[in-house]
Amino acid sequence: MASPLKQFVTSIQNLSAQGSYREIVDMLNKSSDVLVKYREQLPSVLESLDCQQHSLGVLAVLCLELSTTAPMPPDTFEKAFLKVQEFLSTCNGEQIRLMPDSFAELCHHLTKNLIEFKTPMRGIAILQKAIKKLQMSSTQLTPVHADLCQLCLLAKNFKPALEFLDIDMVSIGQENCSFDAKYFLLYYYYGGMIYAAVKQYHRALFFFEVAITTPASAVSFIMLEAYHKYILISLIIHGKIIPFPKYTSQIVARFIRPLSQAYHDLATAYATNNAEDVRNCLSKYHETYVRDNNVGLTKQVLSSLFKKNIQRLTRVFLTLSLSDVATKAQLSGPQQAVVYLIKMIEAGEIFATINQKDGMVMFHDDPEKYNNPEMMKKLENEISLCMDLNRKINQMEEEIDVNPQYVKKANSNQEEDLSPGQGLKMSYSSMNMPGVKE
Amino acid sequence: MPQPMNLAPLYQSVEPMQVDAPPEDNDNTEEPAYIVENPSIDLEWYANCYSGLAKLYRLLYIADHCPSLRQEALKMAINYVQGTYNVYLYQLFHKKLQDSLASSALPDVTGGSVNIQDIPTLDPQWIEQKTKKAALKLEKLDSDLKNYKSNSIKESIRRGHDDLGDHYLDCGDLSNALKCYSRARDYCTSGKHVVNMCLNVIKVSVYLQNWTHVLNFVNKAESTPDFSEGKDGTQAILTRLKCAAGLAELATKRYKSAAKYFLQASFDHCDFPELLSPNNVAMYGGLCALASYDRSELQKNVIFSSSFKLFLELEPQLRDVIFKFYESKYASCLKLLDEMKDNLCLDMYLAPHVNNLYTQVRNRALIQYFSPYLSADMHKMAASLNTTVGELEDELMQLILDGQIEARIDSQNKILFSKDVDQRSSTFLKSMNMGKECQRRTAMLILRAGTLKSQLHVKCPTREPCAEMSIAPGNSTNTPRS
Repeated sequence: MASPLKQFVTSIQNLSAQGSYREIVDMLNKSSDVLVKYREQLPSVLESLDCQQHSLGVLAVLCLELSTTAPMPPDTFEKAFLKVQEFLSTCNGEQIRLMPDSFAELCHHLTKNLIEFKTPMRGIAILQKAIKKLQMSSTQLTPVHADLCQLCLLAKNFKPALEFLDIDMVSIGQENCSFDAKYFLLYYYYGGMIYAAVKQYHRALFFFEVAITTPASAVSFIMLEAYHKYILISLIIHGKIIPFPKYTSQIVARFIRPLSQAYHDLATAYATNNAEDVRNCLSKYHETYVRDNNVGLTKQVLSSLFKKNIQRLTRVFLTLSLSDVATKAQLSGPQQAVVYLIKMIEAGEIFATINQKDGMVMFHDDPEKYNNPEMMKKLENEISLCMDLNRKINQMEEEIDVNPQYVKKANSNQEEDLSPGQGLKMSYSSMNMPGVKE
Repeated sequence: MPQPMNLAPLYQSVEPMQVDAPPEDNDNTEEPAYIVENPSIDLEWYANCYSGLAKLYRLLYIADHCPSLRQEALKMAINYVQGTYNVYLYQLFHKKLQDSLASSALPDVTGGSVNIQDIPTLDPQWIEQKTKKAALKLEKLDSDLKNYKSNSIKESIRRGHDDLGDHYLDCGDLSNALKCYSRARDYCTSGKHVVNMCLNVIKVSVYLQNWTHVLNFVNKAESTPDFSEGKDGTQAILTRLKCAAGLAELATKRYKSAAKYFLQASFDHCDFPELLSPNNVAMYGGLCALASYDRSELQKNVIFSSSFKLFLELEPQLRDVIFKFYESKYASCLKLLDEMKDNLCLDMYLAPHVNNLYTQVRNRALIQYFSPYLSADMHKMAASLNTTVGELEDELMQLILDGQIEARIDSQNKILFSKDVDQRSSTFLKSMNMGKECQRRTAMLILRAGTLKSQLHVKCPTREPCAEMSIAPGNSTNTPRS
C-alpha cells in the first residue's frame, strides 16, 4: 500500500477510536485527491477498515469505487455489490449521517447499476435498510427514498415502497443540509406512479400535487410529467381538473400548462360527459399519450367517464331499463351496461339491483345509516387522525414561537409597527385549519 | 347578430376600445343563421317606433332573416337613409335589394306585389352629393372646433366635439363618433354635461354592441351627482340609463339583472326611439323576468307593478303569457310563447337569446309544476306541458342533475318522486368528506412547511454532470443555513 493511503487508513482508525467523527469528515473532504490517485489500491484499503467502526472511511471509498462513468463489468459490479450490501446493513448510522450526501450518492450509484443490469429486485431490501440508517425519524425524507421507489416500480413490486410512502413526510433531509430538488421531485413522482398502479388514486393525486407545487423557478421535466399524470388522475376521481393551491409556482401556469395541450383538451372533452368526444380526443393525441407512457391512465379515464355517467343516472332515476342505461351512459348496449353495473355494485360505487326478468335496474340510496358500531369506530379513527394533525401543527407553531430568531424579529417589528410581525405569525397559525374537529 | 359585425371591417379607423373587444361580441358571431318564415309583424308600425341607426339596423336585421319582408324592409330603409349622410348603408341596402330582386325574380315571376316602378334605384348622384356635403360639413365642424380650442372656451369645445360626434354618427362612422363623444369628457363643467356625454357614448356603444362599455358609462352617469335639473328630466335620463343597462345585461346573458333594470323603467318617460321602443322594454323586461324570477318575485315585481303594467298593455300577448304562467296554466302559456317566437326572432337584440330564455321559462314551469307534489304522474305532466313523456324525462333528468329539482324518476312506471334527503346521513357523509379533506390539506401544509424550511427549490442545473462531482466526497460540505 502506498504511504499516503497508509496514512489515510491509520488516521481514520485513530480518529474513529477517539470518536471524533467530525474530524474524519474534514479529513475525507481534503483527501479525496489521494483516493482518486490511488484508485487501483482501494480494495486493500477497504480490507483494513471495518464497516461498523470506520463507516465514514468505507463510505468514501465505496462511493468512489461505484462512481465510474463507464459501465462496470458484471463481475466487478458483483464484488462491489456484495461489499455495498454488507456496508449498508452494518454501517454505523451516527457516522454516516455526518456525510448524508455521499451516502445518498452511494445509493444512487447502486440503483443506477442495478437498473443497468436489469436486476432492480436485488436492491429493494438493501435500500430499505439504507433509508432506515439514514433517517433520524420515520417522517424524514431522504434522497434514497426516490431510489427505492424507482427500483420498486421497475421490479413491479410495490409493497416495500408503500411501507415508506404511506408515512406522511414532515421534514426534508437533515437539518442544515441542502436537499437536491431532483430527488424530492422524483420521490413524489414515483410515489404517485406507485399509488396509481395500486389504484389508490386519491393518494396518487396528493403525491403529484406535491411534485407540482414544489417551489420552482425553472421547468423540470419531472414536474411536467407529474402535471400530465395529475390531470389524468384528477379526471378519473373527480371528473375535472382540481385547481392547484395559490402557492403553486408561476412556472406551472406559465410554462407547464402550455406544454400540456393534449391533456387539457382531454379534460375539456371529458367535461361534456360525451364518450364520443373523449374517444376522439384520445385517438387525436394517441401518439402524445404513448410517448408520455400514459396510455393506461387514459384508458382508465374513459372507463371512469362511463362510471361517472352511470353514477349520474343513480341520482336521477329510481328505476331504469338496461337499454336506457346503455343509451344514457353511451355504452354499446345492455350487455356492456350489465358488466359496468355489476362491477360498480361490487366495488360499492353504486347501490342497485338488476332485475333480469324485465331488464330493469333499480337504484337504491346508500344503505349506510351511520348508526352502527363500525361506523362509530371509523369516525373515531378519523377524528383522532385530525386531532393528531392539529397537535402536530400546534407543536410546529410553538417551535416557531420559541425560535430565538423569530422572537427577535417579532419584537423588533412590534416596536416599529405591529402588523408585519403579526403577519408572519398569522401565516403560520393560519395553517391551523378551522375545520379540524376536536 | 351578424349584421353590425359585417360592417365592422369597412370602417377604416378602428375604435381603440375595440381592440380588447369584450367576449360577448364573439358569442354573437357564433349564432347560426336562421330564417323566419311567418312573421306577423306590421313593418311600417315597427319601423316608426325607431329613429336613426336603430331603425336602419333593425330593418336590415329583418331583411337578413325574413325573406318575405325583405324587399319591403329594404325599401323603407332606403327611404330613410336618404335623409342621412350614411352613404355606406345606402349602398349596402341597394346591393341587398338588387340581390333579393334577382333571386326572387327567378323562381317566381308572378310575384305580383313587386312593382318595378316601386323599386328605388341606386342614385350615384345622391352618393356623390352626400359624400361631398358630408365632407364639407366635417371640414366646417372641424375648423369650428379648432377655433374654439384656440379661444379655449370649455363649453364651446365640448359642444364642438358633440356636434362632430353627431355628424359622424349621421355618416355612420361609429368609431369616430365614439371618439368625439369621449373627447368631450375633458370639457364637461357640470354634472349635466357629464351625463350628456355618457348618454352619447352609451348610444354609440349600443350601436357598436360594446356592452361592457355601455355598463361602465351607465354606472358613471348614475354616480354623477345631481345630474339634471327638474324632476321630469331626471326620470327620463334614468329610464334611458336603465334601459341601456338592461339591454347590455340581456346581451351578456345576465337575464335576471336585465329584468331588474327594465322593470325600473318609467313608462311616461320612455321616449328614446334611437335606442329602444316602449314595446321592446315590455318584451325584454317581461321575458327576462319570466325566465329568471320565481313566482313571488314575478307577482311582486311584474304583475303588481303599477309602472310596468303600462308597458305590458303594449304587448297584450306577453301579458297573457305572464298571467297564464302565474296561474300555472303552463300548456297555454307555452303555446302562446311559441306563437310569439317568430316575431321575437326578428328582434336584433332578443333573437340570440330567444331559445335560452324559452328553455329557462320552460324549466321554471317544470319546477313550479312539481313543487307541491310528492309524486307526479309523468303522463299527466307531459300533457300539461305540451310534450312527450320521453322528452319530459330528458328535461327532468337535466334539471335533477343541475339540482333544480329534488326528485327521482321511476322510469318503469313513469312517475316522478320527490326525493327525501336523509339529513342525518348526508351530514355524516359531508363531515366525513370534510375530515378527509382537512387531513389532506394539513398533511400538505406540514410537508410544505418542511419543504420551505429545507429551502428546496427547483432551479436550472448549474452544476457539472454527476460523474465529475461524485469523485469528490467533499461534496457533502454542509453549508450551514440559518
